[in-house]
Amino acid sequence: MNAYIIGGYRTAVGKAPRGFYKFIRPDELGAKVIQRLVADFPQLDSNRIDDIIVGNATPEAEQGLNIGRMISLMGLDTVKVPGMTVNRYCSSGLETIAIAAAKIHAGISDCIIAGGVETMSPIPFGGWRIVPHPKVAQEHPDWYWNMGLTAEAVAREFNVARDDQDAFALESHKRAVAAIEGGKFKDEIVPIEVTEIFLDKNEKRQERKYTVDTDEGPRKDTNPEALAKLKPVFDAKGSVTAGNSSQTSDGAAFVMVVSERMLKELNVQPIARLMSYHVSGLEPRIMGVGPIYAIPGALERAGLKQSDIHLFELNEAFASQSLAVVRELGLDPSLVNVNGGAIALGHPLGCTGAKLTVQMMNELKRRNQKYGVVTMCVGTGQGAAGVFEML
Amino acid sequence: MKRIIRNVAVIGSGVMGSRIACHFANIGVKVLLLDIAPNKLTEVEEAKGLTLEHPAVKNRIVNDALQTAIKSNPAPLYSSKFASRISTGNLTDDISKIKDADWIIEVVTERLDIKQKVFESVEKYRKAGTIVTTNTSGIPIKLLIEGRSEDFVKNFCGTHFFNPPRYLKLLEIIPSEKTDPTLVSFLSDYGQRFLGKIVVPCKDTPAFIANRIGVYSIQALFHLVKEMGLRVEEVDKLTGPVLGRPKSATFRTCDVVGLDTLVHVANGVKANCPNDEANAAFAIPDFVQKMVDNNQLGDKTKGGFYKKIRDEKGVSKILALNLTTGEYEDQQKVKFGTLEAAKLVDDLGARIPLLYGGKDKAGEFFKKSFLSLFAYVSHRIPEISDSISAIDAAMKAGFGWAMGPFEYWEKIGVKKVLADAKEAGVTIAPWVEKMIASGNESFYELRDGKQYCYDIIKGEKIALEVNDRMIVLSNFADDSIVWKNKNVIVRHIGDGILTCSWNTKMNTIGSEVIQGLHKAMDIAEAGYKGLVLYNDSENFSAGANVGLIFMLAADMDYEELDVAVRAFQTTTMRLRTCSIPVIAAPHALTLGGSCELSMHCDKVVAHAELYMGLVEFGVGLIPGGGGTKEFALRCSDEMKEGDLRINTFRKRFLTVGQAKVSTSAQEAFEHGYLREGIDEIVVSRELQLARAKEAALELYEKGYVAPQPRKDITILGQEGLGIVYVGANSMFSGNYISEHDQYISEKLGFAMAGGDLSQPQQVSEQYLLDLERKAFLELCTKKKTLERMQSLLTTGKILRN
Repeated sequence: MNAYIIGGYRTAVGKAPRGFYKFIRPDELGAKVIQRLVADFPQLDSNRIDDIIVGNATPEAEQGLNIGRMISLMGLDTVKVPGMTVNRYCSSGLETIAIAAAKIHAGISDCIIAGGVETMSPIPFGGWRIVPHPKVAQEHPDWYWNMGLTAEAVAREFNVARDDQDAFALESHKRAVAAIEGGKFKDEIVPIEVTEIFLDKNEKRQERKYTVDTDEGPRKDTNPEALAKLKPVFDAKGSVTAGNSSQTSDGAAFVMVVSERMLKELNVQPIARLMSYHVSGLEPRIMGVGPIYAIPGALERAGLKQSDIHLFELNEAFASQSLAVVRELGLDPSLVNVNGGAIALGHPLGCTGAKLTVQMMNELKRRNQKYGVVTMCVGTGQGAAGVFEML
Repeated sequence: MKRIIRNVAVIGSGVMGSRIACHFANIGVKVLLLDIAPNKLTEVEEAKGLTLEHPAVKNRIVNDALQTAIKSNPAPLYSSKFASRISTGNLTDDISKIKDADWIIEVVTERLDIKQKVFESVEKYRKAGTIVTTNTSGIPIKLLIEGRSEDFVKNFCGTHFFNPPRYLKLLEIIPSEKTDPTLVSFLSDYGQRFLGKIVVPCKDTPAFIANRIGVYSIQALFHLVKEMGLRVEEVDKLTGPVLGRPKSATFRTCDVVGLDTLVHVANGVKANCPNDEANAAFAIPDFVQKMVDNNQLGDKTKGGFYKKIRDEKGVSKILALNLTTGEYEDQQKVKFGTLEAAKLVDDLGARIPLLYGGKDKAGEFFKKSFLSLFAYVSHRIPEISDSISAIDAAMKAGFGWAMGPFEYWEKIGVKKVLADAKEAGVTIAPWVEKMIASGNESFYELRDGKQYCYDIIKGEKIALEVNDRMIVLSNFADDSIVWKNKNVIVRHIGDGILTCSWNTKMNTIGSEVIQGLHKAMDIAEAGYKGLVLYNDSENFSAGANVGLIFMLAADMDYEELDVAVRAFQTTTMRLRTCSIPVIAAPHALTLGGSCELSMHCDKVVAHAELYMGLVEFGVGLIPGGGGTKEFALRCSDEMKEGDLRINTFRKRFLTVGQAKVSTSAQEAFEHGYLREGIDEIVVSRELQLARAKEAALELYEKGYVAPQPRKDITILGQEGLGIVYVGANSMFSGNYISEHDQYISEKLGFAMAGGDLSQPQQVSEQYLLDLERKAFLELCTKKKTLERMQSLLTTGKILRN
């Protein structure tokens, strides 16, 4: 059975840890996107949703307690829809869409809401309690490296110069600013109302409400000089800076995936379908180039050539890995992250896959084009890619 | 009237004002720092569309000044978090807030009319009885009180701090004729006990004591340098550490202070002291005037007597001014026979006559400059002070000299100087001849545990008044010594309390010191109430004697090395478990082994200026005298049910792994070297020993039972190891540490985690000590560790191989 995406939304992405979602929890953020998504289908009885599958890269603390189930309970007006949490680090939000499609293909589900959520504001990267295996840590310390060190390794081993990384970062900001100013994200973003409760100077309880509907990360004022001045942050002699790395972020994104039967029952037009999904493993040291293996794998399964693809959405964890992927695969830079990437817009880990899917579907629709690839590098040496076809 | 200082207002936020505010914040006082509101917007403010009425603009001057001070080096605050004790305001809106102040300190521009205006408004808002003082360095106090009310005048005097006020210990107190004498005694006590100052009462004479003599000394040098044709770098070599003075010596000090400031004080003395016999010396020499005209004022104009530049290769170097040509030149190597000879003499007292008697150009320089200094100070009594010791104290505390002028003089010989002066045509004040005629051939004398000093008014030596809370170790007579060896003295300081002091190079700890510590404990356990580890050297101790460890390690005599490390561990453990209370009273540098000693005492009574740390990484080692164990123990005690133990562990691990050294005793608490609720800080170095003694007695009196070695230390085992290995490798892979650092980190982590036990569990102190010692010995077998030790021993530099 075919699986169809019939809708998708995302929140604007906030900066972490001091951005505009500082005062909202990930479960609430996820629930609000789901509420917006189902609101488009008044003919759908919520109880008919088979599952809520939530991607999350750090499922603990505020994101723990099976946040997938919590989002279902909080977002839908029923206790009957289950929920699960899926973690494959940065591809979690794409993985959930693949799982949804697979379940529908297998004929065991008809309607699944899939996507991801991540708030990096309250939870440190990697989680609160990092306990590596001591023997593995000694034998293969790079399996536990922070992502910045892997970005340095990619820059070194794939000869990506600092200047090129900074230029790439600048372009990311320019494209993102242009997209926002052109109103390209307007329709896909669910405005989120945030309430801050605080004590004023006289320790009197105060409330402040504001609505978030625009991505917080892109900077109009970024310039080559400012980027060049930044010091490397992961390697004293390295080239990866805060300016040419993706931002830590908060955000949520979900799509609704349905079977052909449900499509007919709801009487809606499909937007797109996931043609294939492929994840591959590689040396954790250079996890950044994971897409080099994942993209060809996914294309092969989809029966397409690289040249058939109209748009690529790359997670853009670092400029170094993005450039290495673009160069190694010979991608056309003008087709990659056309509306800016995570260096400008932010990278809410477990949400990113779904967020990029939503963004790409809208851009393909605007361009009236057919095929797009969402791809990402994944921590501990993996790459993931999904091929989408617009319908 | 009992005075309590809770709130202090500091008016004027310049270099001194903001730093004085910081020092009050250091001791826990709430400070209001005020300055004028600006009368012009900056470009940035204009661009933002702000007006002069905007609060951010109105407090801009004071806020900027305070931030600059807080960020300056050396830090004016004991801990950056103390900044919250300072609130800021402007004189337009906030002057009324001084009504809450218990002490108002004026630190505004050195202009009589401006100061008078400030005092006029202070008078309007202060509540009656509030102390008001001025930090003026030159304006007569009597002029500042003109027109003020009786209550104001009674509660007013000068309180002259020295820059930087946290570090320079002099506080000159200058009462006017109308100042309430109880205020002077209050401030003298407060200055010492609360602010840690050496308080010197002064007469209301131009530039008071320290600046009068200090600036004379510099001015005299300016003239002498010209006369003798000496180079800038030569003079600094001759007038720095070799004389027991700061490394910045003369010209570098001028650059730091600012030539304009010096010229300002010199001009002030020149104009206001027409009867000063050396008035001519205060005339500004041409080459100095030229520098002022050229705006070569020192660091603030990026060039004075020295100038820092980058050469064509981008390497920075410091050029010195050629006083003849006025050009900056490469510094030349300074070589004098007298200096070479003096190098061999460690004891300053013995070095001074050697320098003075030198037969080369350097010797001539020392003789000339000392004679003129001695003549000058002799004539200043009784003009600026009646007291020889006050002048010495002021120069030591205000200019960082190890000896005051009269102390230098005494080392050379009072009579010898008189004879030499006569021969050189230098006139010494007649009271010195009279003193000698009366049978007093020295200025000072130590008798019956008391320091006596000649009083020129009484014509005899009188006992120096010592605060009854002060215990001065060097004043004790030899009969107080209960035991000693080559390096260690164990002394009874009264009331059943012993001190154990040692004196080695940098006060390092070798076998003699270990022997002395055991002996001190033996004796104390046999018949005394408690023991204090204390010394009056420049530093408490730079740590264990690395030379000793290096020798054994280089000889691969690992058995002997094991014995030595075991002995150190036994010593530290015994400090904790012996039957009498042991107090450590460290100050200044307290590194490595001496940090370990301190951490094992029942209590640490630390001087506020404590630079403490476990720095063994620098020599390729981990703490081996119980320091690693102690950090594991403290880590265990910190962990509470439900905590993320691994994070507590990581924090403790990083403190040792990064060899963090505290920049104050307060920071030593923050790093975990000192224990909240047990250890304490004394701001006054002079009162530290008395407080330590009192603490030992307190423990004894309340019934002291020595702690047993612990068996309940929770270690993480494998749970903690992974993060150690990953962290160390990431730092190495990121080029932040060397491969050997990574190796040492792994050893440290292993010892702190309690080894590779499968489960977190409770272990004994001895188990951890054994792990620590094993790691220490393993490191001693590594070539790179030996290279690190060798580097420290031969060059004094830390090698990061």
